[in-house]
Amino acid sequence: MSAGQLLVGVLFTTSLGLFAAVEIASRREGSRVPSLGDVCGVVMRYRVGPLPVGRIAMFGFWWWLGWHFLAR
Amino acid sequence: MDRPELAAEVDRAWARPVVLTPVFALISLVGGASPSFGLRANLLVLATGGVLFWLGMSAAVHRRPSPPRLSRRAAWWLLPLLLFGVVEGATFLNGSQAYPTLSRLADPVLEHYWARSAAYFGWLWAFWAMIRR
Repeated sequence: MSAGQLLVGVLFTTSLGLFAAVEIASRREGSRVPSLGDVCGVVMRYRVGPLPVGRIAMFGFWWWLGWHFLAR
Repeated sequence: MDRPELAAEVDRAWARPVVLTPVFALISLVGGASPSFGLRANLLVLATGGVLFWLGMSAAVHRRPSPPRLSRRAAWWLLPLLLFGVVEGATFLNGSQAYPTLSRLADPVLEHYWARSAAYFGWLWAFWAMIRR
């Protein structure tokens, strides 16, 4: 593994670690930081007229992500 | 006497973890054995993703309540999100193997059966968690 690959790997790992840290902080008693599930819930409630744009976007993104990593 | 305000919404039998865990595990075990770019891998992701997408758009699954709006503290989520976005964007634009994108870094790991199955399992459960919102 080259130095560049190691650097990128460390940065991605740091990012994932920060996701975990904020989620843990959100679950502490009395925390005012919303959990990732709450953030997703609010985003998914976004609608344009009768169209649930937030839900379609989130599900579409996750579907594509699975296809990208697990089928391509 | 009926007290609807006290009635807890109960998941349908098929939507309980005791049912979903073995179903997701079975799909993951099959998916883990499906090599990239193969017809089986594509069909499995399209079919499972399609069913979960449809369930998420329908009223078949009981949804958990979400807060009416986000507090300012929600901005903490921008920290990991921006770091991830900047690194992914920079490596994508760079386009070289010396600074690989996340998918290029993950490719050699996902070639292993158990790692691929575990990723499948996580993807399915995360999809389910979104459907519940």
